[in-house]
Amino acid sequence: MASIDSLQLHSLCNVQSSIGKAKLRIPSNLVVFRRRLENLKWVQVETNRRFVCRAIGDSSTPDEDIQNTQNDNDDVVVVVGVATTESNTPSDSENSVSRFRSMITTLPPVVFVMKKCSGNSIWIGICIAASVLVAALRAYAVIKSRDNQPAGSVADLVRRGQLRSGDRRGISKSLNYEDPFNNPFVKLDKGNSTVEMCGKVYRLAPVTLTEKEQTIHQKRRSRAYQWKRPTIFLKEGDSIPPDVDPDTIRWIPANHPFATTVSDIDQDLAQTNVYQKQGVPFRIRAEHEAMQKKLEALQNEEKLNNLSIDSQNAREFQRPYKLGTKLEGENIQKNSQDNVTGNSSSEETHKT
Amino acid sequence: MASLRLFSTNHQSLLLPSSLSHNPLTSSSPRFVKNPSRRSPIRSVLQFNRKPELAGETPRIVVITSGKGGVGKTTTTANVGLSLARYGFSVVAIDADLGLRNLDLLLGLENRVNYTCVEVINGDCRLDQALVRDKRWSNFELLCISKPRSKLPMGFGGKALEWLVDALKTRPEGSPDFIIIDCPAGIDAGFITAITPANEAILVTTPDITALRDADRVTGLLECDGIRDIKMIVNRVRTDMIKGEDMMSVLDVQEMLGLSLLGAIPEDSEVIRSTNRGFPLVLNKPPTLAGLAFEQAAWRLVEQDSMKAVMVEEEPKKRGFFSFFGG
Repeated sequence: MASIDSLQLHSLCNVQSSIGKAKLRIPSNLVVFRRRLENLKWVQVETNRRFVCRAIGDSSTPDEDIQNTQNDNDDVVVVVGVATTESNTPSDSENSVSRFRSMITTLPPVVFVMKKCSGNSIWIGICIAASVLVAALRAYAVIKSRDNQPAGSVADLVRRGQLRSGDRRGISKSLNYEDPFNNPFVKLDKGNSTVEMCGKVYRLAPVTLTEKEQTIHQKRRSRAYQWKRPTIFLKEGDSIPPDVDPDTIRWIPANHPFATTVSDIDQDLAQTNVYQKQGVPFRIRAEHEAMQKKLEALQNEEKLNNLSIDSQNAREFQRPYKLGTKLEGENIQKNSQDNVTGNSSSEETHKT
Repeated sequence: MASLRLFSTNHQSLLLPSSLSHNPLTSSSPRFVKNPSRRSPIRSVLQFNRKPELAGETPRIVVITSGKGGVGKTTTTANVGLSLARYGFSVVAIDADLGLRNLDLLLGLENRVNYTCVEVINGDCRLDQALVRDKRWSNFELLCISKPRSKLPMGFGGKALEWLVDALKTRPEGSPDFIIIDCPAGIDAGFITAITPANEAILVTTPDITALRDADRVTGLLECDGIRDIKMIVNRVRTDMIKGEDMMSVLDVQEMLGLSLLGAIPEDSEVIRSTNRGFPLVLNKPPTLAGLAFEQAAWRLVEQDSMKAVMVEEEPKKRGFFSFFGG
């Protein structure tokens, strides 16, 4: 009987361990098993019972476990995956194995269903937890973005820097000084002279340079490096002006890619351009004025061309003139007739 | 949350222990006190939990130079400039590299540069039309000195920059708080042009001997030209190589050059990513080590302060009993 109960325990333990070496739960059936043990009459009183639960997956195979248990004459070992009995003789062990096998053949569907269901339930739980977590994160991100962005599209213009009236509208966010040293990445160890920054620990060593040493270095450099600022820039072929310190002359190569000695613009004009605060820049204004002058000159030339009489164009001018006189004559006649009729009508109106 | 604090020379309260106030090199004791029992606690406190107070006369005209190319001048200009803008100061950054313009790329403003100083000088546009305002921080503006194909007459190159700075001081919007000039590499005409209007200089160097020699030369030239306020930023520091004694330490660099330290920037691969994105490092959230270091350097620049302690050698993080459980 004990063997049967141990087999039951074995099956339950088998199920639990097959799930994933989880904690071995002690189901209520084990309590039943214990009760049955109490009711049993033990044949060997002096037997030391040692119940060992071991998860499936150990290096030892069930056969080895059986041999180990057979060698332990005084111990009753209950091993997950393998059931043992009190008997020590090989024939008895074979009987127990056969019984065990018969037990297994009857139980698998239940075991298999339990295995399947429990496996699925855990995955379902994990999926549900993951979905809840993702939803929570999304909600948090949305809330955070809402807090950062004020309402209204004009605020977007302020945020993008296109509009600077954020203070006036009361929607700008003040540029608060973010102190990076009150963050958890920086820690000062009060006991020792160490500091922890970004997860790394550093030891602090004092700076040892004194003012006297600094002065010594300055004197050394003043002796070593004699240099005067160049004031005259010449290119190859230029003559050196008289009464000029040669140390202040700087020779610029003719093919220097970024420097030139030739200035296309007057120095005073350049200074004026730099100091200009408003209005059209000098060159653009000069170009605009030049363009205007050119246009005016072109217009004047066209007028002159139009006014001058050319022999070739003379006949062309005459035709419209003749036509004009004929038309004028006709117009005069018409006007005179109209006037006559008009006057008569006006006289008639006055009479009435 | 505890914050880093570094004592400022401007503050009268001397919070450093007296054992560290005198010159340690004159005594026979080594620079690093290796005996833990003798080590006096360094109470260097970085006061970064408040807005820095602007020191000196405005506008502060700072030239960022190095001598050797590729040490991080333009990166320093972009990140320090934007850090200053985040602090609330108005900043104008001038890319004084005549032919090889890069500052606009780092800031992500390359598509918005239509006019440069050459156009302003020639009268093609006004100065305010050549300034490119950053939309992320409206108090940061960029001014490029020339386009790659145009040449600047060297006869008044330095003068032109002086006129520009003067015009910025007198503009209707008000004088900017900082004018940062990104100097080209070398000690050529471009260097001379860039340092002309500057009052102070930031020397960027890396802990290798070639950069140090060039930096020393440039420092000498700056001092000959009358610029005395020169501070140093050591870039691309690798604490692991320093620990293995394959790289000079920041204090070694300081000992060689004899300049006050404004910042020590660790090597960070995020620099390359930020360059490609056109998004400076200091704007990253969460901040990286290099970004924090640039912030610290900008803070010290505002207050005309220098580093009093440097971070050296990474120690293994002590893990408690419950660290296994995530504590």
